[in-house]
This record gives sequence, structure tokens and C-alpha cells, in this order.
Amino acid sequence: MGLTSVLHKINTSRDRGFPWSAPSWPETLPRPAPERRLGVDYPTEWARRYPARLLRAIVFDNLTRPVTHLVASPEVRGAEMLALVEPPAIFVANHASHLDTPLLLSVLPARFRHNTVVAAAADHFFDRRWKAHVWALALAAVPIERQRVNRRSADLAADLIERGWNLIIYPEGSRSPDGWFQPFRAGAAYLAARTGCRVVPVHIDGTFRILPRDSHGLRRSPTHVTFGTPMSAEAGEDARRLGTRIEEALGILADESRSDFWSARLRAASGTTTSPRGPDASPWRRSWALGPSPEQHDETDERRWAIKPKPDSASRRGLGLPRQGGSAAARNKTSRTTR
Amino acid sequence: MKALVFERNLARFAASRVVSSLAGSGKGVSVAPLRLTDLEAPALRGPGWHRVRPRLAGICGSDLATIDGHSSRYFEDLVSFPFVPGHEIVGVIEESFGANGAIASSALAPGARVVIESVIGCIPRGIDPPCSACAQGRSGGCERVGFGHISPGLQIGYCADTGGGWSNAGLVAHETQLHAVPDELSDEEAVMIEPTACAVHAAIRAEVNPGDTVAVLGAGTLGLTTVAALRSLTEPGALFVGAKHPHQRRLAEELGADTAVPPAQLGRAVRRQSRSLAVSERSHQLTGGADVVVDCVGSAESVTEALSIVRPRGRLVLVGMPGNIRIDLAPLWHRELILTGAYAYGTEELADGTRRTFDLAMEVVARCRLGRLVSARYPLDRFEEALAHAGAAGRRGAVKIVFDLRRAPTGRSDPSTGTTRPAIRVASKPALSLPRRRTRVLTTRPRTRKEATP
Amino acid sequence: MSPRPGFVLEVDGSTPPTLFWHGEGLRLERLPLGSRVLYPPEPLDPLADPAGAIRHALEHPLGGSEPLKVLLRPGMRLVIAFDDVSLPLPPMRRPDNRQLVLEQVLDVAAEAGVDDVVLIAALSLHRRMTEPELRHALGNRIYDAFAPHGLLLQHDAEDPTNLVHLGVTDLGEDVEINRLAAQCDLLVYVNITLVAMDGGHKSVATGLASYRSVRHHHNARTMALSRSFMDQDHSELHSSNWRMGRLIRESGVKVFQIETTLNTDTFPEQFRFLQRREWEWTGADRAAFLAASKGLKSVPERISRSILHGVKSPYRMTSVQAGEVEAVHARTTENVYAQQLVEIEGQADVLTMGLPYVGPYNVNSIMNPILVACLGLGYFFNLYLGKPLVREGGAVIMSHPTPWAFHPGHHPSYIDFFEQVLSETTDPAEIGKYEESFATDPWYVHLYRTGHAYHGAHPFFMWYWCAHALEHLSAVIVVGGDRAAVRRLGFKPASTMADALEMASDVVGPDPSVTHVHAPPLLMAQVS
Repeated sequence: MGLTSVLHKINTSRDRGFPWSAPSWPETLPRPAPERRLGVDYPTEWARRYPARLLRAIVFDNLTRPVTHLVASPEVRGAEMLALVEPPAIFVANHASHLDTPLLLSVLPARFRHNTVVAAAADHFFDRRWKAHVWALALAAVPIERQRVNRRSADLAADLIERGWNLIIYPEGSRSPDGWFQPFRAGAAYLAARTGCRVVPVHIDGTFRILPRDSHGLRRSPTHVTFGTPMSAEAGEDARRLGTRIEEALGILADESRSDFWSARLRAASGTTTSPRGPDASPWRRSWALGPSPEQHDETDERRWAIKPKPDSASRRGLGLPRQGGSAAARNKTSRTTR
Repeated sequence: MKALVFERNLARFAASRVVSSLAGSGKGVSVAPLRLTDLEAPALRGPGWHRVRPRLAGICGSDLATIDGHSSRYFEDLVSFPFVPGHEIVGVIEESFGANGAIASSALAPGARVVIESVIGCIPRGIDPPCSACAQGRSGGCERVGFGHISPGLQIGYCADTGGGWSNAGLVAHETQLHAVPDELSDEEAVMIEPTACAVHAAIRAEVNPGDTVAVLGAGTLGLTTVAALRSLTEPGALFVGAKHPHQRRLAEELGADTAVPPAQLGRAVRRQSRSLAVSERSHQLTGGADVVVDCVGSAESVTEALSIVRPRGRLVLVGMPGNIRIDLAPLWHRELILTGAYAYGTEELADGTRRTFDLAMEVVARCRLGRLVSARYPLDRFEEALAHAGAAGRRGAVKIVFDLRRAPTGRSDPSTGTTRPAIRVASKPALSLPRRRTRVLTTRPRTRKEATP
Repeated sequence: MSPRPGFVLEVDGSTPPTLFWHGEGLRLERLPLGSRVLYPPEPLDPLADPAGAIRHALEHPLGGSEPLKVLLRPGMRLVIAFDDVSLPLPPMRRPDNRQLVLEQVLDVAAEAGVDDVVLIAALSLHRRMTEPELRHALGNRIYDAFAPHGLLLQHDAEDPTNLVHLGVTDLGEDVEINRLAAQCDLLVYVNITLVAMDGGHKSVATGLASYRSVRHHHNARTMALSRSFMDQDHSELHSSNWRMGRLIRESGVKVFQIETTLNTDTFPEQFRFLQRREWEWTGADRAAFLAASKGLKSVPERISRSILHGVKSPYRMTSVQAGEVEAVHARTTENVYAQQLVEIEGQADVLTMGLPYVGPYNVNSIMNPILVACLGLGYFFNLYLGKPLVREGGAVIMSHPTPWAFHPGHHPSYIDFFEQVLSETTDPAEIGKYEESFATDPWYVHLYRTGHAYHGAHPFFMWYWCAHALEHLSAVIVVGGDRAAVRRLGFKPASTMADALEMASDVVGPDPSVTHVHAPPLLMAQVS
């Protein structure tokens, strides 16, 4: 009864109309288009002011970081090199999962962790007001246009670096569909060349098993985060050349995280580093070549935390009507249908 | 002479509702405003009226609902208190108006065994001209229920002026309400005619096409007589019955059901027969279903079940009386169902002309030997036992419980017999805690009705 | 100490009560003096290096087949089919045999550069496997490499576009199998042979077949002629499958069969007493029995069911062989017999059995009454070579609660079969007339193809499975079962074992001889 009466009150108050609710616009008058401050135009300045930073630091250190460590149990290599780096720095990492950002932030030393902004796709994280608010506050995300070079977003990032903020950026532009690297984009190298700031290549391994793209649940699995030697643009080096060097460095780190530092270096020197973009073969062989997962042959079924209902049990069953047509991607992953 | 009288007493009405909810149907009688009392038969009201002394009088589900305090408030203004319940009656004519003369039909002479169309339409009420329904003989659809020179009351058994079947004293009925019973029919068979007439009407309202799949929910008296009527008067391709109790399933199959199953299995049986899909594997809502579903229960569960097993544009007939229930009507809207009620009887339009529902019912009763549905007889003074038995009829392996009024009343005889008073004696006594209730509509009429009654 | 073989115990005055499975519960019953109890052999030692054994089998195939490596080449179409969730029982601990074998096969395929590889769960008319079940059987590595690309399929016996009719055998049996399997360059089948019925030509000819094909051997006549269907030399079920398998081979489908066998190490440490002989129970075993039997009894059925279905068996691989189907299966069968055979002399008047909580068709599900009948009269009754453990005209006493309960998602057609068909007749030869309408019911077809339901005709198969036993026996008595459900099955309910034996003696005569099958762990009786 309580609830119904409250709902009723809300309902009737909505009916009260102007001035209790917003006025409608006379139809004879032209109405200017509403200002849409989303995407790259979303102002994130507020999220870098002191109150927001304090709140973010509290939440991250007490909630996000312990949860990330529980799920991903990261093993960190090469973090000692960070002692030689003076902020600001650009952290350049491969990208396979939404977990990458919290994981990378959680293994950074405190002096970096709380002064770092994250380059986030403007079209994915800043397409709705509430999402923009959440990501700006939670991860200090800044919108980056990933499809084309956008002066505004590049200027913003460069400006932030110059003002002393560290930056995390994923040059692949989106999460890997199969765990292997995708082609790198030029943005990270451009920023490094423009600001002269140090670049720290970071390889993140294992998040793909925990929360891959299009996944519906979390699976606990160990991860490795390997920091590479900090690098910066050499004299006369342009962004393209630097970009190639960064990609090579990440490839060597990927090799190192699968083997060890020395053999990775030997292979790098002899030019036999296996391509981090994976073999040029059919999808199953690309997946197969990723190698066995470290939790090999558990005696028990590992636990999974479902985030969303599985399409198998929920959406298919929701109304249960036979699905007519539908895209191949929407189909059950283990559908009976042929390819 | 004894009769059971139901009075208007809100407190006891509420108490019986509580008791019956806790203790089960029929148990509310211990606190209900129903009592066995000394009573004279009502006086004959004019030409065409007869006094009938009941021989057997059935206990109907609607009687139980009234006594248990569960009847719908819709009927509040359509009954008049105090009344003698009982509308399933076979009796003998004791006296006809005008003594020896002025008898409309020789079959309706004193001593004749009759069954009664309890519905009180325009003609018994003295409304002239009658409403269009009554003019066509469809007294069940009367538009003047509650008017005329008789107190409000849908039927004999809910009306203060006519008396009712649960009485040794007798009741009065108009000649248009009486049907002579052929000698071949026993009293047990005859008392089933009135409920069977309701079932016959429902079966005709169901508009079953030959070959249709028909499902009947519930197999109490109404369900079983409906099965018999459907089998006798229509040609269903498959007739399913959902029945809770084993004896009900056995009787349903004897009376013509193809398959009688527990209620939980009915949906699956209908789905198999109609080769329908269900909307999901955990839902009972079919995508197709039966062509016609006849609900003889009238509960929220049964109507919901009926809605889920009838095919789109199918027909759903409510025979059991639903009260104030809560159901989701989305399937009705989405599947464009036809939802219809089926009340009482009158005259039926058949392909080969019109027939009185009671005449059809007599044929069904005779053909299907429905007298076997009468499971137990009780004298009037054991009414508490009788009502408890009727309330638990299914569980106790019974179908129809009746009062047996054929023997002279036992116990002390009332010294005050012999006096003739209008209507029920207690009716005009101030001893009754509440005055006789009138319908709100009636108050707009000149209060001359009482004077008009003899 | 080397594992002891199975043996027959004659019950005497000092014999402790005998352990009976009773669905999700356990009972101790005193069998009459002189009763014989068949105890299964102890688990054989597993392969010390299963990975090495698999590699060896792939490189040294049987029956004149070439090594797998040689059969694979870039550009070819490779289909790998594997047994579904009905094997093994209970599900084995990770890594499952299928994962061990498949990983090696895939490594060879990757080395050979085979791009076009598809994995198919050979469901036949069983329910589709769920993601956790697939992950359990195949391992995460294989699941993650194939499922996201749509390369992990489940056989669909009702998809007309995805079936190929290969021809008709000499006896007029249609052979229709999965199109991908029929049209690939090599079909690798990865099997687990838990009982002697599994494997051989049955893997492909049944596992990847359509309903139209399967019904030629899944019917009352064939099953009544399979004596037993566990004995492939005297089984019409197998003769039919072998005819079909040979036709599949002749029509050009190249099958590389990989079969594995398991030992009888069925229960994990906390349930170890289940595979010990009662007189050898230690204090810990007795405590574990009391805890398990009382504990399972005191919790709601739903919980005891989920506890038991969570049990993963510590089975280990005892052999693996690969190559040509018939040569492989001959070796596999030898290995199964080596683990499971127990010799016994003479038939009994009464055969008793305690039925466990799980059978092939209710993994992670409810054992409904039809499955109880099938497990007892189909599987347990037929676990013999030679002649049945019980004489013709004898009685079977099964112990199982037999609840009137069904899993609506897995067994929808079973519910209607139980309510609508068994209420009419329980004669396997009679029910056939209803099969067509169940098999073509659009709702069952829909649930089978898109949900996790068994095929509409599957409950009929379960009842055909009982055909041999029903013909052979004159009474079937269920101890401790739901009375209404047991009667619906056409059996007799009894409250106690003593009552059941009294009832049996009405049929087979006073003082009957009794044999009890002390399983699981599984055993197979060689009756002389």
C-alpha cells in the first residue's frame, strides 16, 4: 500500500504540469537544437578536480583494486623500471578486455595511479550522459576519437600531459576479438612525439581469458603484466617511426610474457620474434595457437560469475518462440546449424 | 413445518467467510446466518400460481458460496432477505390457485410431480409486456429481474416471497416455471434436471462445430452435466476434461469425455491434441489450443488456465460462477478470444427449431442416467452435515448432495401450523435484526408493492 | 596390491547387510541366506601416461589405418565428433578423456595446417549440451578456440538441410547422417566406452544419425532380439548398427575412430565406501555412510540431487586405441571386459538391484519414472553375457524412490508419454502406434533443436529398451517407490525389501533363489 500510494503521488505530481514540470515550447516559435555535449565534446574537467580525485582514489583503492586482484591475480614483471620514470608518462598497452584498465591502474605505483587519465573511445564510453559521468569519475577517462584524428581530442590529451597527467592509451583502438594484437594506430606515438613525454610499453596477458569481448561472465584466471623499458622520441624521429618502435617493443614484451626475458631478447635480436598479430590461418588455429591456459586440467569446474544472463538460457527462453533468421552472431555459439 | 432460512446479517456473513476460508467450503455454515426454523409455505400469489412441496432439493455450488460468504457483491441487490435457499427442486403440486378451477394445464394438477425453472422472469413477476428476452422465452436473460410484484431475487431460492427448496413447507411457483416430470424419471433423476438445464444451455452457448477440440475444466455437478450435454447435443472431435478427483474422471469418461485427466495435465493433453507449441518450456500458455474451453469452476486459476489453453479466436465459456477474481486478460486481447458467460436456461434456438432448455435437459438426464450423480441424501435437520459434505464433495467421492424431504418432518411439530400468513412468517416480524432489504432501484418506485401483494 | 577381480558372495549368517542404492539415497538391506551378491572388480591401474598412450595410438593405428598425421593435409575438411553428456557416468573429473584425446588430435591438425575443422557433439536424439557441460568435456582451451567462431556444433537430427541420406542397407534400413560428417574428408570420432554397448559403428551410425535412421534399430522388435544389447555378438541393435556403419564406410565416409576405456574407480574419496565391500568398511567408511545416507535423507530432494549430480568421478583411462572402427572396437571391448566381467553360474529366480541417482539420460537432471524403468530393466538387466541373471518367468526387484517428477526442460515428451501413453498401455510392442505423433510433434522438435530437450520419440526408445526384460520377466517390483508412479509403469510397489521378496515368491514360487547386482561401480555378468 505504501508503495502504491507513493507511486500514485509521483504520478499525480507529474500531472500537475507547469510550473511543476518543464514548459513545452510554443509550436509557432522556432526552437534551437539542444546542445549535445557528448562524445569528444564531453567536458571532463570536473573529474580531475580535487573532490572527484579523492572519491576516485578511495573507491579504486578500497574496491576496484582488491576485486581486480581477486579475479585476475596479476603477476607483474619489470615494474622496477618505473622508478626511473618521472611523471608524466604515456603507458601504451595491448587491449583484449575491459579489465585491462583497472588491472593496469591497480599495478601502477601510487604516484602514477592517482594521476593518470585513460584514453577511452568517445563513441563507446561517452555516447550517453550517464555513461560519460560514470567513466569520467571512475577511471578519469577522457574521450578520444578513434576512427579519425580529431584535433580537439588530441589537443586535450596533449594539454593534459603537459599539465603533468599520465596517460593510458591503447593504440589498437578496440579490444582484440581473439586475443592476438590488432594493427596499431598512430595516436599514441603522435602524442609522444608532440609532447616529448616518455612512453612505457606494457603488455597485459590473461585478461582475454577472464573477460573477453562479447563475454557474459567473469572467469578467474591469473594474469601477467610486463612493463618494458621506457622510451621516448629520438632526435628527428617522427611519429610513424616511433609508432613502429612501440609496436616492436610490445611484440617483444608479448614474447617475454610467454617465455622469459632472455630468450625473448635473443629472438628479437635474431629477428625471429613470433608475430604478436598471430598466425595467418583459420580462426580456430589462431585461437589454438594462443596456447593452453595456465589453469590446465583443473580437477573441478571453475566458477563463473555470470554478469548477464547467457543467451542460451535467457534470451532464447524468454519468450521461447522459434527464432526466425537472425544474424549469425546472435545465434547460440554452439548452435546446431551449420556454418 | 421446517425450512432453512438465510437472513441478512453482515457480521455472521463475514464470520462464515472467515471460517470457510480457514476450515474449508461448507464449514462456514456453523456461523453463517442460516438457521432451521418453523415456517409456513408462502401463500399463492394469484392465477397461474401453484404451491409445490419439494421431494428432493439439491445443494448447488452457488448456495455454498452464499453460505460461505464468498458470493459476489454483484448479487447483493438481486436477492431479498430472508430467503429459503434451494433452487434445484423436484416436488409435488399441493395446491393450485383458485382451488379446482382455473388450472392452465391439466398436467399441473395437484398431486403432479414437477420440476421447477427457478429463474423468476417477467411473467411470474407480472410484468406486462415482458422484456424482449422473456418474450422470446429466454427467462435466464430477463431484463427485469428484481421488479414486478415479487421481491428481488434471481431465482426461487434467493427470493423472500417464493420460498425455496430447502423446506418441508413448500414454495410457490408460477405455471410457466413448472414442468411435469414423466413417471419414468426417478426423483433422483428429476432433481438433476435443473442443473442439467444450465449445462445444456452452456453446451449450446459453446457453439461447438463438429470436430472441434473442446476442453472442460472442472468435473463437479456442472462439469459432469456439461460433459453429458456436450456429448449429447454437439459433436466435439475430442472432449477433454480436467478433473481433480479420480471418481470425477471416471464419471466424466462414462458420460462421454474422451480423456479425463488431473487439472495439471489438461494443458499438456490439449497441447498434444492440437499439436500446438507453448510460448516457453516453463509456461503453460499455448500458442494454439482447444477450439472451445468450458470453465465449470470459476476461480482465478481456472479462468487463467482456460485462457492459456484456448486457441486464438477460440471460445471460452464461463459456466462456473466467477466472483471477484483477479486475472490477466492480456491473452484475451492478444488472441482475440471470445469470452462468454452461460447462465441458467430458457428457450434454445436449435438448427431444427426452438426447444425449452428443460425439455432438452430431461432428455439428457434420461439418456445419460444422470440420477447416478446424486451421491447422498440428508434430512433437513442434518443440514450442517449435508453442507459440509457438499463442500467437500469432490474429496469425499461425491457429486451432488440433496436434501430428502419426502418423509414427514421429524422432531417436534410446530403448534403454530395452520395459520396462514403472507410469505415467510418471519419476514414481517420485527424480531429480525435487519429490515427486509430492497434494491436501490426499487426505492425510486412508488411503494405500493406491498399493498399489491395479497 | 594388484586390483582384485569381481566375485560372487554367498550370503551367510555373518554377512553384513548389503548396500543398495536408492535414487538419491542409500539403504542397507539384509538379503535372505544363500542369496548371491555380484561384486564388481576393483579398479584396474590406469595408464601411467595417458598423453603418451594417445600419441602412440594416433601414430600406430589399428586395422590397417594410416597414422592420423598422414591422413591430415592443408586444405582438407576435418570433422571431429565426440560422445555427448551421457558418458561417462557419473561425469569424470577433469581432464575428461575427450579433452585429452581432442587436444592431441588438434595439435596434430594444427601442425598439419588443417584450417577447416569442425567439432560436433554426437547427440543423436539426446538433448543439447550446455556450455558448462561442453567446457567440462572438452576443456576451456578447446571450447574457447572453437565455440566463439561457431565451429563447435551439436548434431541436429531434425535439420533436413543438414542431413544426408547415404542409402539403404540390405535389410531396408535408411542410413541418414549429419551432412558435415558425411561430406568431410576425414571424420575423427572420439569416444568413451563405459559399458560394452558403447562405441564401434554405433558411434557414427547412431550418434550422428537422423530420427529416420535411428528408428530402424531403436524399436521394440530389435530390442527384444538383443540378448543382451551389451553383448554385441548377440545384439540385433549392434547388427543393425554394423550394417549401417559398413554402408557409411562403403559410401566413402572415412572414419578414424578413437576409443578410450575407463577403470571402475567411480566415486571420490568421501564416497569411497560405495566401492568397498561391506565387511571391509573401516570406521571412517561407516561414518561416511552414516553421514551420507542420513544427510541425503534429511535435506530436500532438490538439494540431495544437486549434491550428487555435482559428484565428479575419479575415473582414469585404462586404454586408448585408434584407427579402423571394427579393429579398434574389438580391442576396446576386450579392455572393457577385462575390467568389468564377473563370472557367475546359473540363473536366479529373483534379481535385485539398487538403482542410483543417475543414468545416461538424466545427467544434471531428474531421474523420472521412465528413466528408472530404463535404468533397471534396460541397463542393469542387460549387463550380461550368455543368459540373463534371472531365469525366464523370474522377478526383478528394484530399489528406487521413483518420484512422479520430470525435468520440464529436458524431458518434455516424457511427461506426456507418461501421462498419455503409459496410461493406455505398457506393452512395448503396443506403444509404437503413438511414436510417430510424438516424433513429429512440433513443440518437441522445437525444444530438441533449440532448447535442451530430448527428442519427442526418446521416451519410446526408453520403453523399447525394457522390451527384452518385460518379455523375460513375470514380475517387476519397486521397493520404496511412489506408488502411483510405479503402478503407472505397470510394476508393483513394495514398502520394504522383505515385502518385495514375499510378493516375488507369489510369482516365482516359495523360497526363491536371489541374485543381487552390487553396482555401481559397473560390472558385467558372464552367466553360464
